[in-house]
Amino acid sequence: MAIRINTVSFQSELYRSFTIPQPKPIRSPKFSMASTIGSSTAKVESTKKPFTPPKEVHQQVLHSMPPQKIEIFKSMEGWAEDNILVHLKPVEKCWQAQDFLPDPASDGFMEQVEELRARAKEIPDDYFVVLVGDMITEEALPTYQTMLNTLDGVRDETGASPTSWAIWTRAWTAEENRHGDLLHQYLYLSGRVDMRQIQKTIQYLIGSGMDPRTENSPYLGFIYTSFQERATFISHGNTARHAKEYGDLKLAQMCGIIAADEKRHETAYTKIVEKLFEIDPDGTVLAFADMMRKKISMPAHLMYDGRDDNLFDHFSAVAQRLGVYTAKDYADILEFLVGRWKVADLTGLSGEGRKAQDYVCGLAPRIRRLEERNSAKAKESVNVPFSWIFDRQVKL
Amino acid sequence: MATVPVTCVRLTTSMQMVGKTSSLKLVPMGRIKSGFPCLRTSRFQISCSAKPETVNKVCDIVKTQLALSSDTVVAPDSKFATLGADSLDTVEIVMTLEEEFGISVEEENSQNITTVQEAADLIEKLVEKKNATA
Repeated sequence: MAIRINTVSFQSELYRSFTIPQPKPIRSPKFSMASTIGSSTAKVESTKKPFTPPKEVHQQVLHSMPPQKIEIFKSMEGWAEDNILVHLKPVEKCWQAQDFLPDPASDGFMEQVEELRARAKEIPDDYFVVLVGDMITEEALPTYQTMLNTLDGVRDETGASPTSWAIWTRAWTAEENRHGDLLHQYLYLSGRVDMRQIQKTIQYLIGSGMDPRTENSPYLGFIYTSFQERATFISHGNTARHAKEYGDLKLAQMCGIIAADEKRHETAYTKIVEKLFEIDPDGTVLAFADMMRKKISMPAHLMYDGRDDNLFDHFSAVAQRLGVYTAKDYADILEFLVGRWKVADLTGLSGEGRKAQDYVCGLAPRIRRLEERNSAKAKESVNVPFSWIFDRQVKL
Repeated sequence: MATVPVTCVRLTTSMQMVGKTSSLKLVPMGRIKSGFPCLRTSRFQISCSAKPETVNKVCDIVKTQLALSSDTVVAPDSKFATLGADSLDTVEIVMTLEEEFGISVEEENSQNITTVQEAADLIEKLVEKKNATA
């Protein structure tokens, strides 16, 4: 799942809107990093109706890509078939969630479940909070397929459109679908978490949707997904590593196989944007700067469990503390993409394009500096209950 | 004859000028118009504004951060946003101010800094607090 961005909030800034970009709960229209860096839009909490999930309140901009550019994507369909669809795995060659879970058709099923639960007992609550947050994000997949289908020029017009773009979107969704399934079944069997609260959170999240501010533009959209896929690759890679440290090799394998999918998806999306830089360097660099200014928002930033109005911030803080996904990761991803797309070497740009190029190339160091300053500041430790773990408390 | 600058006389409508030749004690009675330096004493904080040096330093920091040309006017009531600052710029401005003045700005306070004047006022408050506890 490519969509899990922790908007890094440099302290308050970072965890909120950031990534960040990013529509954020009204509590802080601050600079936020994606993941931890969020956007500057506010989230409204209704004071009249209790237990209402947060909503996006920023002005939603539509169709910001000039219609003549739709042609570019039509003309890229052949190229996409040869260069992007190859990053999909044929279903016959794909792993399924069952490959990593106790086999209900076997006599050894109960024993396998006991073993799984014994391993899970050794894993601390704060790890589970992060794993649950990741799982909830994956389970909001309908929102992400929707988001891809908002993009002009590449949307699946019928639900079974034969264009390369539509084939990619459906197959990508199908691959991602296994991630939520795997994590959901693991968490169910583990016995460590409150499944009902988690399922409620998922229902709220899918109902809330998200607006990554891609404005129906595939330029903005594919830059966003490139960032996101890399972010999820990093964070699932980290949960895999931690699971191994806690002695649960099977869980490590699960997280690892998910991370491998994300890496393949990252390769595909970054290739699309690389091609766009070739075809329309000015438009693409402007799009890149635009997304970074708005901050890459977290897909699950509107998450709500019916109890905690700051659930996403709390979850992000734990993810930051455990090193699963941090402000530093946000800066690293940005720096990687600037290098991957050779933004510094672009020539023939307009005046605005050059400004955008400068902004994007200079942004990662600024973020790092902010984060260093922030982490140097001593912070009181705060413990917060999470309904996902039966209101047990975890340090932020 | 009292050696009082002419301008003093202009402002002393409400002041009693004691007609002594040796010294002229300017005892402010009633309202005193602000901006007249020689009437200001430490007991009279006529306006709560920060010192001009503080305001100027803030202006310089803002100009550098936003890479503004030297002929761009940055006034005390200039809003950062109007000068072209995005949220990252504002956070960085606050950071630079912290470093320059040796203070630490609480998150809640940093949200209220939207103009040069607000920044300067907060700085002076924090510096005063810091010196008091030193």
